[in-house]
Amino acid sequence: MWNSIAEFFSSEYVFLAANYIFFGYGIILMTFYFAGVILASRAIKRNKKKSLFLQVNDIVSATDIPSVSVIAPAFNEGLTIIENVKSLLSIQYPYYELILVNDGSKDDSLEKLIKEFDLERRDATFINQPIPTASVKYIYKSKLSKYTHLTVLDKNNGGRADALNAGINFATSELVVCTDADCIIEQDALLKMVRPYLEEHDREIIACGGGIGIANDSVIKNGVLKELRLPDNLVPMVQVVEYIRAFLLGRMAWGEINGLMLVSGAFGMYPRKRVIEVLGFDAKTVGEDLELCIRLRTLMEDKKIPYKVVYLPETLCWTEGPPDYNVLIKQRDRWARGLWETLKIHRKLFLNPKYRGMGMVFFPYWLFFEFGAPIVEFLGIICIIAFAFFGMINWPMAILLFTAAYIVGCIFSTAAIFMYVKNFNHYDKPKQIIELLLAAYLEPFLYHPILVYGQMKGYYKKLFGIKSGWGTMTRKGFKVSDT
Amino acid sequence: MNETSVLLFITIVFSILVIYWISIVVSVVYRKNRVARLSKIEATFADVVSQYLYNDPQNPITLSEINDRLREVGIRTGNKNNIQYLIRLMIRTQRTILGDNYAKLKTLYAQIPPYNASYSKISSWNWYKRARGIREIYEMNQSHYVHDIQKFQNHRNIFVRREAQIAMVVFLGWESLRFLPYLKRNMTLWQQIKIVEKLYDHHPTPELKWLHRAYKTDKLFGKKLLMRIIRKFQLHAETEFIIEHLNHPDYEVRETAIYCIQSFALSKKKMKNIKVLYEGIEDSTQQGHLLNYIYENSDIDIDFYMKQLNGTNDDLKLSVAEILWNNGYKEKVQEFYYQQYPTKEELDVE
Repeated sequence: MWNSIAEFFSSEYVFLAANYIFFGYGIILMTFYFAGVILASRAIKRNKKKSLFLQVNDIVSATDIPSVSVIAPAFNEGLTIIENVKSLLSIQYPYYELILVNDGSKDDSLEKLIKEFDLERRDATFINQPIPTASVKYIYKSKLSKYTHLTVLDKNNGGRADALNAGINFATSELVVCTDADCIIEQDALLKMVRPYLEEHDREIIACGGGIGIANDSVIKNGVLKELRLPDNLVPMVQVVEYIRAFLLGRMAWGEINGLMLVSGAFGMYPRKRVIEVLGFDAKTVGEDLELCIRLRTLMEDKKIPYKVVYLPETLCWTEGPPDYNVLIKQRDRWARGLWETLKIHRKLFLNPKYRGMGMVFFPYWLFFEFGAPIVEFLGIICIIAFAFFGMINWPMAILLFTAAYIVGCIFSTAAIFMYVKNFNHYDKPKQIIELLLAAYLEPFLYHPILVYGQMKGYYKKLFGIKSGWGTMTRKGFKVSDT
Repeated sequence: MNETSVLLFITIVFSILVIYWISIVVSVVYRKNRVARLSKIEATFADVVSQYLYNDPQNPITLSEINDRLREVGIRTGNKNNIQYLIRLMIRTQRTILGDNYAKLKTLYAQIPPYNASYSKISSWNWYKRARGIREIYEMNQSHYVHDIQKFQNHRNIFVRREAQIAMVVFLGWESLRFLPYLKRNMTLWQQIKIVEKLYDHHPTPELKWLHRAYKTDKLFGKKLLMRIIRKFQLHAETEFIIEHLNHPDYEVRETAIYCIQSFALSKKKMKNIKVLYEGIEDSTQQGHLLNYIYENSDIDIDFYMKQLNGTNDDLKLSVAEILWNNGYKEKVQEFYYQQYPTKEELDVE
């Protein structure tokens, strides 16, 4: 049919087909996004109304609320471990324990913890292991009365998912919160997260997530976010917009139709019995948070138990985003591999009517638009170059279409920023809002291409079987205030 | 599709973008002004209330002066947002004041705007307004509206019926438990917790006759609520009600019973009964929780633990082994685990 690549790209049919495919893909994606804005607005509005009747002050002194275990894995985090643990210990919740899992760190993390919290070594012979993990060497409990809710598990290295599983095994609470040791959690976050579990009556909550914010260059004091600042550099600054858009528009919209397939690994709450039932996080994938959520949903669908995955619009957890392009590429490369692995594991869900919405809509969406978007974008760039080379592009029209697509993209980011500014007061100064808008408008030129590169790198590794793990995430650390 | 249509499309989407920009500006400006206005209302209200409660006999503040001052800062019938904010301030203040001043404040609230704002909300068709009205009424302890609220106890909207049920508890106290068998819709855990907390805050002295009458309820949520009340008020004489639900067929009822019983130290006789019920529990995780309770609240009963050690669930066996190991029965645990290995004869080793 075509004897060469040149012939292929210069074919009128190919040109037309490519035009229609890219155009159709863009229109469908745009429709999803517009629906997302409407659904998210509705969800936020309803959430705001309901919160009047579900105030945390009403239950803060209650003795009947479920116990919660916060599980934080740590690997070679000796530099910041003490500050981080103190931060996690300062959360306000009547019945919670912090289980820090030292995942075979090679640095002096454990020694520092033993010294700072006066830890006492205990035998781990009789530890229950409903989820198989790398062996736990010792359990450490503090001798100090103010740290009785701290437990340190010292185990052999097995990766983040394995460390979380060890913590889940050890926990005795009804609910477990999985987080990272370097996350700053809002003081009342657990009280807010536990609300959906308390108020739901006809469906079981299998996972609950809260908004995650980027706090690069912000000031931390005694483990608490003292002053939220916008990052100085463009890369983390754009991530602020990206996170607002993803959590406030994306997650809230999907949550509205019970279509959430992901609760972020940085901060997610689960009922322990369900997590144990599915044998915890999958240690073989780097996208363990997405994989667990899908597995939990699949379990409930198989058992025909009504369930719900919920997201709270409030930012309850602050994290440090990749500070530069190199770290960003590593992060997105890992996320892309995690997505690839998870979709492959759960491929039986695709267009499977047995799994209702998840099989027919949510999973295909993830496949076509979360997994497929970088591929489509990459192919789009190749096509533009090739068609331009063969002089087939109507440049005035192409520029107009590009402008239209760009403005539509800007609308979604602006809508997310508007909703955030209207409902929360984290960024309320005009200068901050202008900076956020500028970052959003520069994103397609200075940030997004790098993102696509990172994702394509991840896919490339999976395609050609190149082994790669979590990668090293170099972080600058938060600014710690002494005053 | 031609260039003109794309240009038209660009104009439309750009207009939407501009609308969002304007909305952001309006939102920021509105919030700034609103914050200033609210702090003014708050300062005026604080001043007025303190003058009213601790009136200067030489120069007493009159009701018309209070109304004038509130009107000056924007408390007018037409301005619903300001009125709503004032109600919030009133509730907040009432929560922090006790004794004579509490009664004085209640009188003041009946005479200043928003007058009947909360009461008028309960006849609204909008669930949000209605539920908010009920909440404001019980938070401000306006108990004369109890009969108007009672009819909402089985309302189809969860928030309306929830607030109505809480209002009944606040106004009627333990007597409100008599309505429990007549509640038609499920009660969430949040609702149960709030009822227990309100009962404890407003009516700390138990009135057991109402509790005993409520035992007749066949509603599962009712049973759970009663167990939570027994636990919160530490009613040792009522623990039998919890014990008899330890092996209830419903998972949630069992869960609540196991959770509640853990707050009590029981007699040997009752503990013996619990050990019998323990074996009838189907869920091993729940059995594990009850096992911990039995261990922490009774002497080592070697026959009971050995029986469990020879049970079928590995997790439970491990827990029992740990208990025996740490309490001077190491040889029993070793013996149990050694007997699981095949003997020399079984291995047929020369």
